[in-house]
Amino acid sequence: MDSESPRLRLSILGVIVFSLFVALFARLYFLQVMSSEEGELEATANRVRVVQTEAPRGRILDAEGRVIVDNRTSLVVTVDPHELEDYDEDATDELLLRLAQELTRSGMPTKLASLERRLDDPQYSPLQPIPVAVDVPEELEVILAERAEDFPGVSVRRESVRAYPEGQLAAHVFGYVGRISPEEYEARMGGPGAEDDDPKPYQPDSSIGKTGVEYQYESELRGMPGEKVIEIDSGGKPVRVIEERPPVPGNDLQLTVDLDIQRNAEAQLADQIERLRGTFTPDGKRARAPAGAVTVVDPANGHVLAMASYPTYDPDEFVNGISAERYEQYVGGDAADNPLTNRVIGGLYPPGSTFKLFTAEAAVEKGLITGSTGYNDGGTYTLQGCNGPACTRQNAQRAVHGYVDLAQSLTVSSDVYYYWLGDRFWHDRDQYGDGIQEIARRYGLGAPSGIDLPGELGGLVPDPALKQQRHDANPVAFPEGTWYAGDNVNLAIGQGDVLVTPLQLANAYAAFANGGTLYQPQVVWRILQPKGDPDDPADVVRTNEPVVVRQFDIPSGARDPIERGLAGVVEPPEGTAKNAFEGFDTTEWSIVSKTGTAENSGGKADNAWFVAYAPADDPSYSVAVVLEEAGFGGSSAAPVVRRIFEPLAGEETTDASTSAVVGGND
Amino acid sequence: MATLTRPSTELNRRDLSAPWRHIDWVLVASVLLVSVMGVTMVFSATRGAEGPADTSYLKRQAVFMVIGVGILALSTLTDYRRLRDLALPAYIALSLLLLAVVSPLGTSSKGAQAWFAIGNFQLQPSEFAKIGLIVALAALLEHWHGDVDLRRVGIASAVAGLPMALILLQPDLGTMLVFVAITVAMFLMGGVKGRHLLLLTLVGVIGVVGVLNSNVLKEYQKDRLTVFLDPESDKGGSAYNVNQSIITIQQGGLTGDGLFQGRQTQLRFVPEQQTDFIFTVVGEELGFLGAATFLGLYGLIVWRVWRAANLARDTFGQLLCVGVLAMLAFQLFESVGMTMGIMPATGIPLPFMSYGGSSTITSFVAIAVVLNVHMRRFR
Repeated sequence: MDSESPRLRLSILGVIVFSLFVALFARLYFLQVMSSEEGELEATANRVRVVQTEAPRGRILDAEGRVIVDNRTSLVVTVDPHELEDYDEDATDELLLRLAQELTRSGMPTKLASLERRLDDPQYSPLQPIPVAVDVPEELEVILAERAEDFPGVSVRRESVRAYPEGQLAAHVFGYVGRISPEEYEARMGGPGAEDDDPKPYQPDSSIGKTGVEYQYESELRGMPGEKVIEIDSGGKPVRVIEERPPVPGNDLQLTVDLDIQRNAEAQLADQIERLRGTFTPDGKRARAPAGAVTVVDPANGHVLAMASYPTYDPDEFVNGISAERYEQYVGGDAADNPLTNRVIGGLYPPGSTFKLFTAEAAVEKGLITGSTGYNDGGTYTLQGCNGPACTRQNAQRAVHGYVDLAQSLTVSSDVYYYWLGDRFWHDRDQYGDGIQEIARRYGLGAPSGIDLPGELGGLVPDPALKQQRHDANPVAFPEGTWYAGDNVNLAIGQGDVLVTPLQLANAYAAFANGGTLYQPQVVWRILQPKGDPDDPADVVRTNEPVVVRQFDIPSGARDPIERGLAGVVEPPEGTAKNAFEGFDTTEWSIVSKTGTAENSGGKADNAWFVAYAPADDPSYSVAVVLEEAGFGGSSAAPVVRRIFEPLAGEETTDASTSAVVGGND
Repeated sequence: MATLTRPSTELNRRDLSAPWRHIDWVLVASVLLVSVMGVTMVFSATRGAEGPADTSYLKRQAVFMVIGVGILALSTLTDYRRLRDLALPAYIALSLLLLAVVSPLGTSSKGAQAWFAIGNFQLQPSEFAKIGLIVALAALLEHWHGDVDLRRVGIASAVAGLPMALILLQPDLGTMLVFVAITVAMFLMGGVKGRHLLLLTLVGVIGVVGVLNSNVLKEYQKDRLTVFLDPESDKGGSAYNVNQSIITIQQGGLTGDGLFQGRQTQLRFVPEQQTDFIFTVVGEELGFLGAATFLGLYGLIVWRVWRAANLARDTFGQLLCVGVLAMLAFQLFESVGMTMGIMPATGIPLPFMSYGGSSTITSFVAIAVVLNVHMRRFR
């Protein structure tokens, strides 16, 4: 071996080692100098998590500042999945079994399987303790704290949940809250088109307003969630808080609703319905009286002072999530009785004789009649140029009213008078057009009122074009496309296809009462700061000013006789609701009202209506009440309004039980 | 030292071959610097993010370092040539230890049975066996004076193969690869002919393929070895370590997060960051500037070892230095390269940096051998 060989071999080794170093330097330079930002991003994503804490929702107050919807603290038992990681399956099972036993002992029957299911539920973030039981008693908190070593990872958290100091009162107005559904969450938080940067972000288990004001004013009521930016270690365990923003409660809402009126309205509605149920109406039908609704509107500004729908529900049942069975009880079965429906805005009924106001005004305004035009009501009316038995219409209950003028026609609720008007409108349609429909729509019928509540229906004011349209669109459901004189006379007395909500009627009468200003009804008056004082103007964030939908003139030639006629409804000797208001002093507090008895098909009892405003010289309350399948307006529905008016008029409260079903007709 | 040496200056000037005059202070200084850096990094990796700092690792690693420095100092007193006589008994003893460790006497940790538990400490014989192999091969190859025929290649391969086989039984592929590197470098230096080296390489490749297809390695170990080819393939599993390691080094950037400030390090995103992945701590906390300085110091060490090999007065010394050179260079390249994703993730300690007594002391012994060869090059 020559002497140069080891030297050469050593040089080869040196070159190899040197190139290894070059490789390391190159890679190091690439990673740390050329692509370090990339690593920075990945490392941050690795390390930082954002955890949210829900803020209390804003409170809901009545017009006088009384709290209707509040918050309370609910004790929630949580299990931290992180703490359980250190335990094997058996130990975890034992722990959960102990917990289930303890929960059961404290009055909350719990199964091991349900706890396990909850812990595996993907809707809960594994970064946060998972709630396994809500509203546990204080004693359980003490027990768990004392035996902390038996319950690793189990803790009790205080959560703000809805509380209802007034119980079910006004439940349909404020609505209920519930856990956000995947669809709602997706709409708000996920994907393109969502409100990506929702200033009040949601968690998959956040609460959200589902109905009523809670839904409509979600963005005000929802608090700003607190946010904690935490650093986690490789095991996902929180290490430290980088940034913390405390939760901010949502804004308070002050409703236009007056709790006193609301409470009375709800009580009277429920009383009357329960009393009527099972009785026989004057025309011999059995009153099923399953449901009803009443609302009181302020004609001066469209404020809803009361809004009650029967049957109602208990919002408290939704607080910690309603069980599927219970929910099924609410919405299943006879859908017509669905207690979750707010019938004031979501119930559609033919208005019956309460519609005559619009027919009367249309007739005068269009020049069909004057305010003093009379007609001889012989009990029947035969359509012009029509032959056959179907051409002759009768008054309800075969009444014969004799010669009646416009005012009287309303007081006694002559159908014949309005058959006559309806027939003439049709006969001379080239001259008058769809005059009745035009006036009805001017008063807001046939379109949603625009109230700040979800689920409002618009009703229907039918006309020849609409009838044809419906037939063309669906000939099976609407076999008849032609409008006949019969349709017109039906419409004139509020029957046929015309449908209204109680709110539309109350609001329409309010517009008549205030001389032609149709307001957009509203239930939320003001938005206050969190925990705001309604008496302190500085706490008012925003006031929902009254919105005028339209303003129109009511010629006094129409207005005066109509008002006179309607004022007579509660008066002897002829008023259709005279019995219901017997003894009510209307000299100081005169009532303008109309009864309605709207036919139901299939031999069911009629729907009873009563619409009224008072006092006539300074209208402050416009009320509409409907009782489904409950009989006549004058006898069944009018007493509800009387008893709503009594405290407002300073009248003595009558004993409701004696005046339950008082005589009266239409 | 200075006060002691001054009176005898006259004498020393004449005796230029006195070994202590030729201590390679550059090597000593670089090793000490890297070790101190290592102890600091181990502390940073183990102190914990919260509460009072955990100093247990710091203390133990400092003790290992002091023992290592002690060995370094003591070893200068004796001549490296005496190792020739120790070669056979040391080789036999270490082989027996390697045999014992895969017997029930050994304890296993992280899937490999590689340790003896002695009280609080764990002894890893495969680390010390590296020195044993270096000395044994150096003695053997020197004995043949560069005349290595195929039969002798076979003998030398058997000498190297025995400890490798025992280590593969643990199984500890990383350490075995260090043995391969040592053997290849020393064969090259010891006069094994090029064609024989090629033959051995062929045998080695067949061996590796055989091992990957056999059941000697566990599935996860195979995954770890091959995942570096495609780190994106399996972020949660085998690739997790490598990905986290790369991110950690990347985010150190040019200047690093600062000592004890490594965001990934302090939250322990990289597993084994005080041992096999210690370079991530350097990369993250000290940045490119710190990591490059560290690699530079390491380059200095390797250069001085190479230089010692070059200057060695006899073949035995030269072979010893080459063995150490191969050991250090390979471990550095594997350990650092793995953290940066250019080498398969098979855990081996980074000499003078990674936490661990056996590895630290072995590294110091290796440097002690080189120092000895260097200082006695005139005698």
